[in-house]
Amino acid sequence: MNDMRKIERDVKMTDTKITARNVNVHYGDTHAIKDVNVDIADKTVTAFIGPSGCGKSTFLRCLNRMNDTIDVCRVQGDIRIDGKDIHDKSVDPVQLRAHVGMVFQKPNPFPKSIYDNIAYGPRIHGLAKSKAELDEIVEKALRRGAIWDEVKDRLTQSGTGLSGGQQQRLCIARAIATEPDILLMDEPCSALDPIATAQVEELIDELHRDYSVIIVTHSMQQAARVSQKTAFFHLGNLVEFGDTDQIFTDPKDPRTESYITGRIG
Amino acid sequence: MNSKHIVASFDRDLEGIQAALMKMGGLVEEALRNSAKALEARDFDLAEKVRKGDRLIDELELTIKTDTAKLLALRSPTAVDLRTVLTVMEISSHLERCGDLAKNIAKRTIATADASNISGTLAASRRLSNFVEIMIRDSLDAYIQRDVEMAKEIIERDAEADQIYNTLFRSLLTHMMEDHRNIAFGMHLHFIAKNIERVGDHATGIAEQTIYLVTNAFPDDDRPKSDATALGFRDAGE
Repeated sequence: MNDMRKIERDVKMTDTKITARNVNVHYGDTHAIKDVNVDIADKTVTAFIGPSGCGKSTFLRCLNRMNDTIDVCRVQGDIRIDGKDIHDKSVDPVQLRAHVGMVFQKPNPFPKSIYDNIAYGPRIHGLAKSKAELDEIVEKALRRGAIWDEVKDRLTQSGTGLSGGQQQRLCIARAIATEPDILLMDEPCSALDPIATAQVEELIDELHRDYSVIIVTHSMQQAARVSQKTAFFHLGNLVEFGDTDQIFTDPKDPRTESYITGRIG
Repeated sequence: MNSKHIVASFDRDLEGIQAALMKMGGLVEEALRNSAKALEARDFDLAEKVRKGDRLIDELELTIKTDTAKLLALRSPTAVDLRTVLTVMEISSHLERCGDLAKNIAKRTIATADASNISGTLAASRRLSNFVEIMIRDSLDAYIQRDVEMAKEIIERDAEADQIYNTLFRSLLTHMMEDHRNIAFGMHLHFIAKNIERVGDHATGIAEQTIYLVTNAFPDDDRPKSDATALGFRDAGE
């Protein structure tokens, strides 16, 4: 079965961006991720779904080494981005996170101006040589974040004064400002109303032409709407990974079918 | 897979549309049976009853279409649940057409009131209608029992229905060539036979839905076509 959305956008999904092999994660005594193997394609939206505690967020956080910040958390296995091992000693996790941007469940703008929210990353990574160049980066990021028209006249006002949906798009724009290749989104719409959700989903749709987007969501309908690939996690296992239309119409594993049809939580 | 949804009312909705479908199936079987009986016994009151009864089948189809649309909108079913809803919609269309065909048979039965019967042909058409009525009943049983093997067997059976129709067609043709006074009745009975034969095709269609429901794939369309009467007016009876 062909996904109409793939044809419509003529997306090439042959290039692998991320490969994960035998990834295991322990939180103290808890085995949170069990031997996960997956290839994530470039310029594609991949959705991670599964019940609470299934490990989908934990696995997402492996991809930019966010789990490093948790003391009791041990990550084993091989994760490569563009063929390069992200656990290699030469990799600086801060640089890694500039390339693998992240957006969280709750919009978390810095208590700074809208302009500074976006400019923060490019400044610390030294991406702009002049004020004019920085202005350009900020405008470009806000445009890509589909929020430029709403904030262009109040760039000096605080980012926390925006509505929830605007804040979330601001955070997405902030993540984009450091020119990442990959965007990780952990429940980016669960604190938003349906209209703001639709705007973020439209934005995700735009973004995946340039980025590899991975979204963790509790809303299966959202996964179905925005993603081309879906991975179903259950009790720390990656149960099934495939084209989104296949997962939602013809799941191969009975656990996947039970979950997507609402028979197990 | 667990059979029950966490949201129990989802199960009730899915059961509801399938129960309505089975009720519709029951009415269609009855209409087919009565139309055949009316034709053979030349019982025009019964034919009239079948003609009028089709409204009930149409109403039930409308209810099913409304309920399935509602279920799609409100429950966003996926995988086997989605296929259940889609197949209920599809099968209700097949059954509605079967109801129309039974009505057509009844109308033609009334129209043949003045024509004289051709001996032997009524019994042959009765055989055909018995045969397809069982096909419809079995196709609905296979659906409810999610029985793919039975569904496949029903699809095979359609060739036999075509053969009974072909035999009747040749017999009617012979009678009409031998005596032109047979033409009026012969033509009516031919349309009736064609209508009955079409019911077999709908039973096949229902069986295909069962296969799709269970396997998420449609069977290959390689069943033998046994309608040898394709002389350019094959579908004249529709």
